[in-house]
Amino acid sequence: MTVTRRYFLVKIVPQQPVSEEQFGRALTDSVRRYFGEIGLCRIDPRLIRFDEKESRAVVSCRKEGAGEMEAAIGLISDVSGLAIAPITLKMSGTIKGLGRRH
Amino acid sequence: MAESMKIAGYSAVALTLPTGLLQDRVVFIRHIFTSAGIETVLRTDLAPTSRTELLRLLRRYRSLCDVVAVKCTNEATARVACRDRRVDVVFFDPRNHKVRFNHSLAGLLRGAVEFNLIAALQGQTNSNFISRTSKEMGISSEHKNRVVLSSGCTSPEMTRAPSQIAAIADALGLSLEQSRLGVSKVPEGIILRNLDRRSREYIEEGVKVILSKAR
Repeated sequence: MTVTRRYFLVKIVPQQPVSEEQFGRALTDSVRRYFGEIGLCRIDPRLIRFDEKESRAVVSCRKEGAGEMEAAIGLISDVSGLAIAPITLKMSGTIKGLGRRH
Repeated sequence: MAESMKIAGYSAVALTLPTGLLQDRVVFIRHIFTSAGIETVLRTDLAPTSRTELLRLLRRYRSLCDVVAVKCTNEATARVACRDRRVDVVFFDPRNHKVRFNHSLAGLLRGAVEFNLIAALQGQTNSNFISRTSKEMGISSEHKNRVVLSSGCTSPEMTRAPSQIAAIADALGLSLEQSRLGVSKVPEGIILRNLDRRSREYIEEGVKVILSKAR
């Protein structure tokens, strides 16, 4: 069975020196904290790309958990003690679609 | 802050400024947002401790601000605030156990109820808060109250996109439709109605001066 996924373009404001690993861990922790282990399996969050210079990330999840994924991104308040605001700029069904406007 | 709001996709913000702030300072703050392409409206948050104080504050500030919000600190003020049509938005402090948004207040509500999600969720995610907010959202859905979802941000690190706020509210139990309306149509409607009320042509509800174009 094919798993359909949704992709989010996330901008980190203000620009902070956050590494890919740190952001990926914060993302998984946020999903686990608010939706539990079962939610983590159902949402299946993945950090696809991370641009440290631009402070942008592409995050994916299963289509069924897109709303919960967006909420979990919004609930990340800090990464390793640094206060950040991960703002979802766009959601798309393809990675290519994310680049069309932003 | 204005820059991060612009990135998040906001077109208008309600600024809660201290009432004693000098007019020049207010104009300067509004100019920062306007130059970033964001419209601003002035909002005042009233936190009265009694019914009489609330009525006195409403008489004083209603005509000065675009949006009037009341923080309900006890049951008596909550009842008056929910019933009074001069109040646009009522909100409840999740840490205040004296008063909470219940069925009787939901039945009285004329304006909208506001849920301040980000400020409340960040840093203090306890199950009590989540269950209380979830319950209050359930009550507002049941009574078909108008809901306003606010970012309540005081710094750029607390900015979230409207879609994220709607997603958080959806996860807490508000319907997706109501969540989306809470970050778009409902606050927009409040602002437009109040701007219309404050215009020179407005006389009273349903009555306004229309100039004849024939002259």
